[in-house]
Amino acid sequence: MDLSNAVHSETAHAPPISEAGAKRGGLKDGWKRLLESKTGALGLLLLVIIILMSVAAPLIAPHDPAKANMAGKLLPPAWEAGGNADHLLGTDGLGRDIWSRIIYGSRISLIVGFCSVVISGFIGIALGLLAGYYGRWIDAAIMRVVDAFLAIPTILFMMLFMLVLGEGVGTLIFVIGITGWVSYARMIRSEVLSVRERNYVQAAKVIGTGDFRVMRTHILPNVLSSFIVLSTLSVGRVIISEAALSFLGLGIQPPEVSWGGMLSDGRQYLATSWWVATFPGLVITITVLAIIFVGDWLRDWLDPKLK
Amino acid sequence: MSKYIVKSVLQVVPVLLILTLIVFILVHVTGDPVTMMLPDTATPEDRRILTEALGLDKPLHVQYGLFLSRLLQGDFGESFRYGQSALPIVLERLPASFELAAASMIVACFLAVPFGIWSALKRNTFIDLLISGVSVLGKAMPNFWVGIMLILLVAVHLGWTPVSGRGGFSHLVLPALTLGTGIAAEMTRLVRSSVLEIIGQDYIRTARSKGLGERIVIGKHALRNALIPIVTITGLQLTNLVGGSLVTETVFSWPGMGQLIVQAVSTHDMAIVQAAVFVIALMVIAINLLTDLAYQALDPRIKYN
Amino acid sequence: MRRGNAKWPLAILLLMIAAIAGCSAAETGGPPGVQRDGAEKVLTIGNTIDNVTFDVHDHGNTQVESIHVNLFEYLVKKDGSDPSKKLPGLAVSWEQLDDMTWRFKLREGVKFHNGDPFTSADVKFTLERVAQDPSLIDYSSYSSIKQVNVIDDFTVDIVTKQPDPILLARLSRISSGILPEKYFKEKGVEGFNAAPVGTGPYKFVKWVKDDRVELVKNTEYWGGDPKWDRLVFRTIPEATTRISELLTGAIDIAVIIPPADIQRVKDSGTTYYTDLESARVQSLLVRQTPGTVTANPKVREAIELAIDKQAIVDSVLGGAGVPTQEAIGPGILGHLPSLFNTNIYNVERAKQLLAEAGYPDGVELTLSSPASTKEVAEAIAAYLTEANFKVKLEILEQTVYKQRDNSNTFKELALQGKGNSMFEAPLPLEIFITENAKGQTDYSNPEVDRLLKAAAVNMDDKERESQYQKVQQILAVDRPRIFLYQNKFNYGVNNRIGFTPRADEMFYAEDIVLKQ
Repeated sequence: MDLSNAVHSETAHAPPISEAGAKRGGLKDGWKRLLESKTGALGLLLLVIIILMSVAAPLIAPHDPAKANMAGKLLPPAWEAGGNADHLLGTDGLGRDIWSRIIYGSRISLIVGFCSVVISGFIGIALGLLAGYYGRWIDAAIMRVVDAFLAIPTILFMMLFMLVLGEGVGTLIFVIGITGWVSYARMIRSEVLSVRERNYVQAAKVIGTGDFRVMRTHILPNVLSSFIVLSTLSVGRVIISEAALSFLGLGIQPPEVSWGGMLSDGRQYLATSWWVATFPGLVITITVLAIIFVGDWLRDWLDPKLK
Repeated sequence: MSKYIVKSVLQVVPVLLILTLIVFILVHVTGDPVTMMLPDTATPEDRRILTEALGLDKPLHVQYGLFLSRLLQGDFGESFRYGQSALPIVLERLPASFELAAASMIVACFLAVPFGIWSALKRNTFIDLLISGVSVLGKAMPNFWVGIMLILLVAVHLGWTPVSGRGGFSHLVLPALTLGTGIAAEMTRLVRSSVLEIIGQDYIRTARSKGLGERIVIGKHALRNALIPIVTITGLQLTNLVGGSLVTETVFSWPGMGQLIVQAVSTHDMAIVQAAVFVIALMVIAINLLTDLAYQALDPRIKYN
Repeated sequence: MRRGNAKWPLAILLLMIAAIAGCSAAETGGPPGVQRDGAEKVLTIGNTIDNVTFDVHDHGNTQVESIHVNLFEYLVKKDGSDPSKKLPGLAVSWEQLDDMTWRFKLREGVKFHNGDPFTSADVKFTLERVAQDPSLIDYSSYSSIKQVNVIDDFTVDIVTKQPDPILLARLSRISSGILPEKYFKEKGVEGFNAAPVGTGPYKFVKWVKDDRVELVKNTEYWGGDPKWDRLVFRTIPEATTRISELLTGAIDIAVIIPPADIQRVKDSGTTYYTDLESARVQSLLVRQTPGTVTANPKVREAIELAIDKQAIVDSVLGGAGVPTQEAIGPGILGHLPSLFNTNIYNVERAKQLLAEAGYPDGVELTLSSPASTKEVAEAIAAYLTEANFKVKLEILEQTVYKQRDNSNTFKELALQGKGNSMFEAPLPLEIFITENAKGQTDYSNPEVDRLLKAAAVNMDDKERESQYQKVQQILAVDRPRIFLYQNKFNYGVNNRIGFTPRADEMFYAEDIVLKQ
């Protein structure tokens, strides 16, 4: 479950002009901001590399990620004593190559991360908009549903869907998506609550603009920045919660590989063979960092409220 | 405002009812407790006998009806696992969970608020980068990883604190740090972006142009407005924490709600799952209510119909 | 503007949080910590699971039992290293009057923790309760007892429904902890759970769920002054945490040391490692339902030959196991030495057999396993793949696994571990009787049925032994289960403690010695 961010500003601006004279929100503007922001550029670069890595996995992975080799288990990384160049980052408890597993693991982690955020975001924005805009009993009803969702243990949902839909990536995405919408809803709702009373919104309603139009043109853009921040944080959170689910035995199962699963499996070796859990952890960190930097850039580019 | 409170409280009842129904269905559909209770060697006959003895052979709606009628008398039924009344068992765990939740929130706030504000003020400088980097690092490390590392480093290697379990203050340090830093990592960035939004506003420029010292500008105007997002974040994190944190509790052998719930779900111990969900729902609703009220107090423009 | 009000709700929220944290932290006293100095002798043991109940009839768990044996006592005790040997407990002697009646002479002068005297009425109450109430979890292990007759205050006759060669085994485990009739009836189950009372060397102090059970010395114990002042059983589910507690000296004994940490325990300088063979055997359940790939005996043989059991024991288990082809191991009547500690690994022959069976290019099958044995399952899948099998690996969460198990919906292979708390043959072998195997393996061999049913009521030990051994030989060829290895269970122990593991995994504090 993630955080909500209620932000409101005194005025909502029409898209202002950025320094170079390009219209904010336009492509030129975006490109300029990308070059200006070192972190944004770095983040985008890293992200592209990771995505390419996951797509090209069969081509670049030196070993079969599922191939066990008892004789060569728990080999340290190549630069340590006992390691060898054949296994750059060492091997895990069953002798499988860690670097190859990381490459293949990127697929699942990225897919689960993005897809579940899309699902959560969609549901959350829709419900949050409705709750905030219409208020009264719709708001009350939706907020009580939020409360109910927060109270039910995720593990219970997880077990239910696993039994009904079977284990696998799809079920995982579904469950994380279904349980994650709550934070989006609350955030969007509080934003809408504050924006709704603004003059220009009232004005639009007075002249008879349809509700949907009002929501789309006036409210949604203002909500965008918070949504981006929340989403970028969420992707990281989702990748990590997959690790927590593996902890319980509910995560991704072999022969599929995921970073979260590697972390969880590797924790028994933390004191003795640190590399098994540390490298997946590092990769997760880098990915999350990249996504956040990209998110910052997107927000600078697209958010009408910022200068 | 009081009308709002009353209305919210009244809405609690249908929520709880629907909640118990959902949980009832979920627990039943996901499996049966008799399976988990019997040893491997039990025969189908044994299974049948135990099922009957526990009243699980009755049709579902009858079982639910019985459950509801007992619920109205405050009785959630008997835990299959413990053979004792469920509600006291759940309530017994609350102090431990509260302790951990509270301590973690304090750690989180102490870290996230100052650092978040600082990195917003120093936007795009090295400080900002450093804080963002560290907070992302904190986010990317799952709880069990941080917990185990802290145990190995602080408790085993340095011997500064006990390893696990619940006891005095020294037992609280590592688990609170583990949970707290995870929360702080998320909070820091959100505090930062909230403060950024606010600083960019007209009224801040106005305040500055009036010649007010930077301290007053930030302290009085910006921070007050930043309180809403901070309150929201605090509230939401608290609702997450009231359900306990299974991973941290397991790593630190902390007897909280998280472990209880997971075990109850795994063994399909209906009574405990119901009681726990009920109690958590009440706390979640209470916290959300408080948060909503805080909004109204913080920003008079937010109105609830 | 009313901005000032903003502070209050937030302040209140934070204050509440601080207050709750402060109060809770203050009221739970100081840490138990290490007990090296001071007059009190405290033994701390780290288990992986919590006590479940103090109603000895209503659980089936070894770790729970290992707490109970200090609180309650059995009529008959198992010898620590040879579980088939039975020693006097609350019964000083026994004899068989006829095939279905056993007479026990009880120990005199024994008192329960609440002062009540121990008499035959308590034995009658305890055994009849579990033998006659099907809602109690351990009922099926005692339903063979028809009734208990009180002859006098210290003599009872236990009457069984049929000749029961393993009655003594039943009386020396879990549900045979003698309960105080009067006290139990007064308090009821819930009351008893809150304040359990037995005849053992240690008395109940408190049980903090999912945290610890504390027992204190029973100064009135009939067997003399107990060795320890206090016993603390802590619940530490996470392996790294448990090992860390052991290494810092906070606990004296830790159960279940994972292979990765065995060396750490040996090298620490403050702890030592010890292990013992358990009666628990890991095997592959093999479906023989006509139409399945594994219905073909050549395929089954190929599967067994494809697996290098020794390598799995060495690599995945860190040496904590022994390869085997039988369901019961040394020390249990029916054990066949020629089937124990064997390794028939032969991948070439396996491929050959597979081809002979009609699958020269390999064949698909599904291997299911609970998450707890994931690594072993993955290793097995790897070996099978080497031998041309195409393995679909299915790792299931515990509850899901159990459900599939009960509904008999596994495909071809399922990895399972089966314990044997009675240390007798019927438990692991009777699942192969046709009626019992129906739907599960669909194995049916009339000779096996005949032998097992005869052995169940055969009071002649030598005959029984050869009957069970014959069964094991047949099973090794028929392979309704492919037995893999017998587990060893292990402990990490602090150097200040002298502890010898018992075959039944019990912790009798009286047998654990403080060395310094």
